[in-house]
Amino acid sequence: MNPKKMDKLATGVLWIAALMIIGLLVWFLVYILGRGLPYLNLQFLTGPDGVGAQLFNSFYILFLSLLFSLPIGIGAGIYLAEYAPQNKLTDLIRLSVECLASVPSIVFGLFGMIIFVNLLGLGYSILGGAATLALLNLPILVRVTEDSLRSVPSSYREASLALGATMWQTIRKVVLPTALPGIITGITLVAGRALGETAILIFTAGMNVSRYLFDTNPMAAGETLAVHLYAVKANPLPGTNADAIADGTAALLIIMVLVFNLLLALPSRWMQRRLGKDE
Amino acid sequence: MPTRQLFDQALDDLNEKIFRLGDMARSQVKDAMTSLDKQDLELANQVITGDLQVNELQAEIEEQCMLLIATQQPFAKDLRKIVGNFKISINLERIGDLAVDLAKLSLRIGNEKLIKPLIDLPRMVELVREMITQGLMAGKNENTEEALAMAAKDDIVDHLYNQIFSELLILMIEDPKKIHQSTYLLFAARALERAGDYCTNISEEVLYIVAGKREDLN
Amino acid sequence: MRDKIVVENLDLFYGDNQALKNISLKMPERSVTALIGPSGCGKSTFIRSLNRMHDLLPNVKILGKIRIDDQDIYNDATDISLLRKRVGMVFQSPNPFPKSIYENVAYGPRIHGETSKAHLDEIVEVSLKGSVLWNEVKDRLHKSAMGLSGGQQQRLCIARLLAVEPEVLLMDEPTSALDPISTMKIEELIGQLKLKYTIVIVTHNMHQASRISDQTAFFLSGELVETDETGVLFTRPADQRTEDYISGRFG
Repeated sequence: MNPKKMDKLATGVLWIAALMIIGLLVWFLVYILGRGLPYLNLQFLTGPDGVGAQLFNSFYILFLSLLFSLPIGIGAGIYLAEYAPQNKLTDLIRLSVECLASVPSIVFGLFGMIIFVNLLGLGYSILGGAATLALLNLPILVRVTEDSLRSVPSSYREASLALGATMWQTIRKVVLPTALPGIITGITLVAGRALGETAILIFTAGMNVSRYLFDTNPMAAGETLAVHLYAVKANPLPGTNADAIADGTAALLIIMVLVFNLLLALPSRWMQRRLGKDE
Repeated sequence: MPTRQLFDQALDDLNEKIFRLGDMARSQVKDAMTSLDKQDLELANQVITGDLQVNELQAEIEEQCMLLIATQQPFAKDLRKIVGNFKISINLERIGDLAVDLAKLSLRIGNEKLIKPLIDLPRMVELVREMITQGLMAGKNENTEEALAMAAKDDIVDHLYNQIFSELLILMIEDPKKIHQSTYLLFAARALERAGDYCTNISEEVLYIVAGKREDLN
Repeated sequence: MRDKIVVENLDLFYGDNQALKNISLKMPERSVTALIGPSGCGKSTFIRSLNRMHDLLPNVKILGKIRIDDQDIYNDATDISLLRKRVGMVFQSPNPFPKSIYENVAYGPRIHGETSKAHLDEIVEVSLKGSVLWNEVKDRLHKSAMGLSGGQQQRLCIARLLAVEPEVLLMDEPTSALDPISTMKIEELIGQLKLKYTIVIVTHNMHQASRISDQTAFFLSGELVETDETGVLFTRPADQRTEDYISGRFG
């Protein structure tokens, strides 16, 4: 085949691959939302079988886990990218981070149960769940932070240092702001995972909810939307329309993830435009 | 890998043109002298028209030097070579003008009998011709000693000029009728003395090209 | 003219590799010193030693003395932040921060503690005028610096330097990424800046060195081969290696 035809063929194949991805996503969304949306109303959240508490727990656990993992993850990422010397120790740290990132979440779940739930005596609790989720997300945050910082051109650092700025001034005022969009993307990724996580939370946050809404007691057990979805499907309670609840919950979960991503991504996009070219 | 071969070729080409200009100047003074000595008026006219070619070649060299500076943007010895050779070409062109002066004097004297056999004037011409060759060779071989030796010959030229001057002075005092032709011959000697000075200018340029130093050899 | 920077017997090692060999060079105040030489000759290494940019790298060893205004800059007591404020640097490719034009210029004064808005406004204007950029950007100060052309970005980087009121400007091939017109503008600017600042510039462009500098130093394989008045070095260099290099018959 001549190169020109080959080129056209390759372009075509790649187009199809890209279209398939979009097609899959659209099909997925239409299917889930199509089945779930009809059930979504205020009653679905606040009614007797409502999932309002689960929705609240999802975000509460997400918030707490980010509270634990962001400072440590971003801090470690900054250290690895900016301060760590090139030696065996830092290579080992990087390797450990990689390993942690590839551990199946069920293992984290069991680990969390042993440490937080039993050993530290937290019981099935929002706190235990959030702490274990933080462990799961930590390696990704470290990786994403380090990569984002490394992708900041070293010429920015040189320029800042050459003006007499200290290392920390340079990181805080030039490197971090420039890397922020990348870090935010990482946080979005982590948050999406956290919102959808089940394996870990079943063993640590439990499968019960408080009887009243907006229970901010971190020691209370806290079933999340995703766990609820699993529970409803796995052990349908007699007398409830389990399928309807599951479909609605799935739709709600998807919407939440989308909204959350947009909430983080839009300002990041806007910021990138501010940093980059105007027109 | 040798760099700037094209440039080096262009410099060689420039040098070759300088030699051609030198040869032209040499034959112009020689012909002018012959026309004076042999009272060959036709040859004198040839010298006068031949100057056009000298001027043309000099203009060509000037153009080439400007082009090389503009396009090659030379530094150091390359730059000195171009500037030095440019100035050498000007001096050669002026020697050519002096040959025209001699030829014109020869026309003025016309067929009038020479008041004395010409001995020292041809010697001056030979010296100038030698100096031109020696100067150009010194330039080509970047030989400063040769250039200095050439400049030293100007002393002989000056000496001959002084000799001719006093000789003609005596002739004029002895016989006022000879004043007319004597003046022409004095002008001729004066022109050749000037040509000697232009030759020393050439050696100054050679020294500048080779060593980068400006010296006054006159 | 007083010597602003005096370097004596400077040796610099990257690990076991000696990058600078016994360099001694004096750079007079309010003049332009150009450093020329083939790639890897040590000229960039040298210029970076003048504001201690090598401190960022591990395994760099420096012997010898560098004095700026009679103060040994490699002395333990030297405040590096203060040194770099006094001895600013312009880099090879323009590297404005991805911030607004205003924020770029205000960056230096801010990190050195300036907080007054009125004062910052003034510094920004004066600095941008100093780098002859003010007229081109005065109506878009709060737009991103990344929208400027390469030449404008480089002049912005110079304005950013001027804002911290340096005494010495180090320029590491400041025009190598620019088009000829922008290059000429920077060269003109250097001609103005030298009335106030001591300038040291590394350049690959020998004609640039010959146009803008007062003194030229030729580096080769980590050694300083020859230093002379620019006019002299480019018309009659003393060393054959300099001659070969500047007349393009090198290697």
